[in-house]
Amino acid sequence: DEEPERTKRWEGGYERTWEVLKEDESGSLKATVDDILFQAKRKRVFESHGQVRLGMMRHLFVVVDTSRTMEDQDLKPNRLTSTLKLMEYFVDEYFDQNPISQIGIITTKNKRADKLTDLAGNPKKHIAALKKAVDSTCIGEPSLYNSLLMAMQTLKHMPAHTSKEILIVFSSLTTCDPANIYELIKTIKGLKIRVSVIGLSAEVRVCTILTRETGGSYNVILDEGHFKELLMLHVKPPPASSSSECSLIRMGFPQHVIASMSDQDAKPSFSMSHLESTSGGPELTLGGYYCPQCRAKYTELPVECKVCGLTLVSAPHLARSFHHLFPLDAFQETLLEEYEGEKFCEACQGELKDKRIFTCPACKKVFCVECDLFIHDTLHCCPGCMHTDGTS
Amino acid sequence: MKLNIDGLLVYFPYDYIYPEQYSYMLELKRTLDAKGHGVLEMPSGTGKTISLLSLIVAYQTTFPLEVTKLIYCSRTVPEIEKVVEELRKLIDYYAKETGAKSNFLALALSSRKNLCIHPEVSSLRFGKEVDGKCHSLTASYIRAQRHSNPAQPVCKFYEEFDAVGRQVPIPSGIYNLDDLKDFGRRKGWCPYFLARYSILHANIVVYSYHYLLDPKIADLVSKELAKKSVVVFDEAHNIDNVCIDSMSVNITRRTLDRSQANVETLQNTINRIKETDAAKLKEEYKRLVEGLKEANVARETDVYLSNPVLPDEILKEAVPGSIRTAEHFVGFMKRFLEYLKSRLRIHHVVQESAPQFLKDIFEKVCIDRKPLRFCAERLRSLLRTLEIADIADFSAITLISHFATLVSTYSKGFTIIIEPFEDRTPTIANPVLHFSCMDPSIAIKPVFGRFQSVIITSGTLSPLDIYPRILDFRPVTVASFTMTLARTCLCPLIVGRGNDQVAMTSKFETREDFAVIRNYGNLLLEMSAIVPDGIVAFFTSYVYMENIVASWYEQAILENIQRNKLIFIETQDAAETSMALEKYQEACENGRGAILLSVARGKVSEGIDFVHHFGRAVIMFGVPYVYTQSRILKARLEYLRDQFQIRENDFLTFDAMRHAAQCVGRAIRGKTDYGLLIFADKRYARADKRGKLPRWIQEHLTDGSLNLTIDETVQLSKHFLRQMAQPFRREDQLGLSLLTLEQLQSEDMLQKIAQIAQQA
Repeated sequence: DEEPERTKRWEGGYERTWEVLKEDESGSLKATVDDILFQAKRKRVFESHGQVRLGMMRHLFVVVDTSRTMEDQDLKPNRLTSTLKLMEYFVDEYFDQNPISQIGIITTKNKRADKLTDLAGNPKKHIAALKKAVDSTCIGEPSLYNSLLMAMQTLKHMPAHTSKEILIVFSSLTTCDPANIYELIKTIKGLKIRVSVIGLSAEVRVCTILTRETGGSYNVILDEGHFKELLMLHVKPPPASSSSECSLIRMGFPQHVIASMSDQDAKPSFSMSHLESTSGGPELTLGGYYCPQCRAKYTELPVECKVCGLTLVSAPHLARSFHHLFPLDAFQETLLEEYEGEKFCEACQGELKDKRIFTCPACKKVFCVECDLFIHDTLHCCPGCMHTDGTS
Repeated sequence: MKLNIDGLLVYFPYDYIYPEQYSYMLELKRTLDAKGHGVLEMPSGTGKTISLLSLIVAYQTTFPLEVTKLIYCSRTVPEIEKVVEELRKLIDYYAKETGAKSNFLALALSSRKNLCIHPEVSSLRFGKEVDGKCHSLTASYIRAQRHSNPAQPVCKFYEEFDAVGRQVPIPSGIYNLDDLKDFGRRKGWCPYFLARYSILHANIVVYSYHYLLDPKIADLVSKELAKKSVVVFDEAHNIDNVCIDSMSVNITRRTLDRSQANVETLQNTINRIKETDAAKLKEEYKRLVEGLKEANVARETDVYLSNPVLPDEILKEAVPGSIRTAEHFVGFMKRFLEYLKSRLRIHHVVQESAPQFLKDIFEKVCIDRKPLRFCAERLRSLLRTLEIADIADFSAITLISHFATLVSTYSKGFTIIIEPFEDRTPTIANPVLHFSCMDPSIAIKPVFGRFQSVIITSGTLSPLDIYPRILDFRPVTVASFTMTLARTCLCPLIVGRGNDQVAMTSKFETREDFAVIRNYGNLLLEMSAIVPDGIVAFFTSYVYMENIVASWYEQAILENIQRNKLIFIETQDAAETSMALEKYQEACENGRGAILLSVARGKVSEGIDFVHHFGRAVIMFGVPYVYTQSRILKARLEYLRDQFQIRENDFLTFDAMRHAAQCVGRAIRGKTDYGLLIFADKRYARADKRGKLPRWIQEHLTDGSLNLTIDETVQLSKHFLRQMAQPFRREDQLGLSLLTLEQLQSEDMLQKIAQIAQQA
C-alpha cells in the first residue's frame, strides 16, 4: 500500500506543463529542462539564523483541518490522505530533530475541534492515531477559534522557558467561529504562543493576521512537493523570543541496562510507558532504561518519567539537537567556468558537471549540488573542514 | 529623491519610484510645456496623484510665471482629503530638502456641510439644509437688517471673517478640510468663506468637479481663477456624464406643484411689501432697466443657488419690459408653469427640440423667447429684493427658471422628452419632462477655453481617442501607461461557456434562458469554493440581478453558495447598501468569507475600493450596456452620430467597456494587491470589446484566457491564487517595478521606461 492508487488522468485537473518550457535560440528545450531540474534540487529555504537562541524544548500542537474541503482531489489521492501521510513523516522527523519536545494533534471539522492526541513525546502513539484518522469522513466547516482555544488551554500551562507553538494545516477558505477571533488572537499573543499556518488552497486574511500577530509564518502550498518542504520548515526549532525565560531543567540520563540471560535473578518487567497503551506489543522485556531518580523502567527514550516527572533523554538526543545551535554556514554558489581548480567534488570525488558549484567558506573546498544538499541537510558539518582539522 | 525630468528638477517625496510614474511625469511635462491639454491613462494604485503633484509643483516653483495655480478636481470628499495629504508629504519634503520655509498655499474646498463650524448649522444633516440655514444667517440684507434690529441672529464666524479676514491672507501652508476648520475655530472665522476667498490667491486648490463644471456653482466659485492655471480632472472616466448631468433638468409633477406654491409665496410677499415698502420694488425696477451689469452688487453670500450659463450679450441687455415689474414676472411665471403642467398631461411620449418647444409655447401661451432667457436672472433679482431668507425652499422655482433660460439659450445640443410614465411601470402615471443635455462639451467648453492646460486622467480611459471627440477639444498628449509588475498580480479571464458548453452571455435574447442563468450560478458557486475572503460580483442592472437571484434561489444554487460564503446584495437604498457593505467587510475580515452582489454603474462600482482581501475576485456577469431603450440615450446617440461622427455601436461599446473596466478595477488597488478579474460573457472575447479595455488589463489577456469553460476557469484561478499567496517582499519588486534613483538613471531602464507610455 506504499503506492497510493493513482487517479486516472482524466479525473485530474488541467495541467499546462508546456507553459513552463521555453525554447532557447536554437529551439532546444534542454537548457530550460536542466534549469528546472537544477532549481528543483536547490529548492530549499536557506535561513541561517546565525547565533541566536533557539527554542529547543518545543510544545507543538498541530491542527489538521478535516472539513469538507479536504476531500478535494488536487493533492493525490485526496487532500486528507496526502496530508496525513505527510504528517506521519513530519512527526517522525520532528522527534528526530527535537528529541526533548512534545507534540499533540487536533482535528477540526463540522464547526468543532477534537483532540486526536494529547501533548506527548512518543511518536508511535501519534502515528497510530494519524493512521486511524485516514478513514474519518470530512464534513462541515473547520473552526479556527475552537481549535486555537483547545490548543491554548493546554499550552498555557506549559513552563515559560519552552517554545509554545501551534501549526495549522488549513484547507478550507472559511472558518466558523463562535466568537470574535481577534480577541482570541490577542490572548494567544499575550501567552507568547506562536501560530503558523500552512494553507492548502489560498491566502486567507484571518490567517495572515493570526500569523503576523503571533510571530508565526504563513505559507500556501503550490503542490505536494512544496507542501512537504513547508512542513519540514517546521521541523527545525524556531528562534526563541528574547523575552522568554531561562531556567535550568532537571534531566535524567539513564543507562541502557540489559540483564544478561545467564543472570538467574533477572526477571522480565513491564515498561512504564506501556501501562497506558492498550495496543499490546512487547510488554515484558529484560532490559531497558531505568530512571536515575525512581528506578522506573522504560524501553524507549526520550520520555517523561511517569512516576517522578523527570525528563529522561540520552546524550545522543541532546547532541542531535546541538547542530541547530551552530548551523553550518551556507556554501558560496559560483559558476563552474569561474572556478580554476581540479573539477572534482571534495565529498563524492565525482566530476563537477553542473553549471554551479559550491565552496565552503571555511576550508575553500568545492562540492557539487548533491553533496552540498547532503552536507547541509544531514551531516551538518563540512567534510573538508573535518579533514583539515584532523590533520592539523 | 530628486529627479531630472526632461531638464526640470522634480522633488519626489519617496525613496523609490515606479517606472510608470517617471514616464507619466515626462508626458505631463510635455503637456505643460506645450501649454495644451492632455489625456493620460494610468492604472490605479500606481501613484498617479503624487506624480501629478510632484511635477506640477516643481513646474510652478521653476516657472512661477508660466503656471500660477493648480486646480485639482476629484470626485468625493475622501478622495479630496487623500490628495491634500499627499501634497502635505510633498511640501514637507521640499521644506526638508531646501531648508527654506516655502510660501506655498494649498487648500481643499468643499461644501458648507463639510466646512461649517457654526454650532447649530453644522448639526444639520443635509447639505441643502445647511446651505439654506447658512444663507439665512449671512445674506447681506439680513446683516443690513441687523443694524436696525440687533435681535436678528447672524453668524458670528462670518461677521468676524468679514470684519478682519480679508485684510490678512491666510498663512501659507497646506490646509485640509479639518485644518481649515481648526484654523477657523482658532481665529473665529468662517472656514467656508475663508476658503472661498483664499482660493483666489492659493497655489493649489483641491475641490470637487462641480465647482468647475456645474455652471451654477462655477460662476460663483471659480469665476476669477487665473487663466494660467493647470486644471486636473482625476478619476475622469465619467466626466462626460458629469457635464451632462450638470446641464440637464428633470421636471416632474411634484416640481411643478412646489413651484406653484413658491409662486404663491412670492405673490403674497410682493403684496405685503407693496403695502409697506413700495419704494424697494421701484428701485429694483430701475435697476433692471439699467441692465444686469450690476457689478458685484450681489455680495458673495447672496447665493441664490443659481446662475446658469448666460451668454455675455444677455448680460449687457436690459431685462425685457414684460417681466420687469415684480407682479408681471410672477404672472409670467404662473403662465409658464401652467403651460408646463399642460404639457405634462399627456398619454404618449413626446420628443422635441428646443426651437420646437419655443414655437409651441409662443403659440399656446404667447411667451416670447427673450423674456424666457432672462428668467433665471430675473428670479434671482426678485428673490434678493424680497429678502427671502430661506432659499432652500425655492429650489423648485429656481429649477424651472433655469430650464426656461437654458431652453431659450441653446438651440442645439439639448432635447426635450416628455414621458407620461416610466417604461418599467407603464400603468403608473408619473409624467416627467426631461430637458437633457446631449453634448458634454457645452459644460466643459469654458474650462478648456479659459485655462492653459487641462489634464484628464484616470485608471480607465480606454479607448483614449473618444474623450477628445466627445468633449470636443484638441489634446497635445494622449497616452496610456501600463503597470510594470514584478509578478503578474492580475488575472483577467473571459469565461464564455458553461461546463455544458452552453454559451454564457447576457445578450438580450438569451438572458432569460434557463441554461445561461444556471451556468452563471455555477460559475459563482465554483468560484465561491476556491476564492478566499471576498468576491464582488457585478450585474448589468438591478432588474437583471433580481431576476437571476430569484432564479438561483429556485434552483437551490443560492443555498449551495451560502455554504461557502455569506451573500450580500446592493440595493438602490443607500443606507441599506452601506450596511451590507459594512457587514461584507466584517465577514471578509474574520475569515467567514462573503460575496457582494452589486450592479455596474451603481454606488459600489464607482466609489468603493476593494483592497486586498475585500476583493480577491471580481466577476462581471454580462456586458454592462446602458439601457438602450431609454429615449434620452437614443437622442444622445443620434446627436453623437450627427455631430461627432461617432457610431451608436461604438459609443455603446465604449460606454459598456469603461464601466466593466471600472468594476473589475475595483479589486486591484496597487502593486502588492492581487485579484482575479472574471468577465463572464462570451462577447468579451471578441476583438472589438477586448480592444476597448484599458491597456493594463489587455496586456495580461492571453489567448489562453479567452472563452474558457467554468472548470478551466477554476483550474486557472486555483493556480493563480496559490502563486499569489507565495511570500512577496519589497526586494522582489526592486529593480523591476520599483526603482531607486540609481536604477532609474541606468540606460536600460530609461529605454524600458520609454516603452511604458503608449501614445494613442
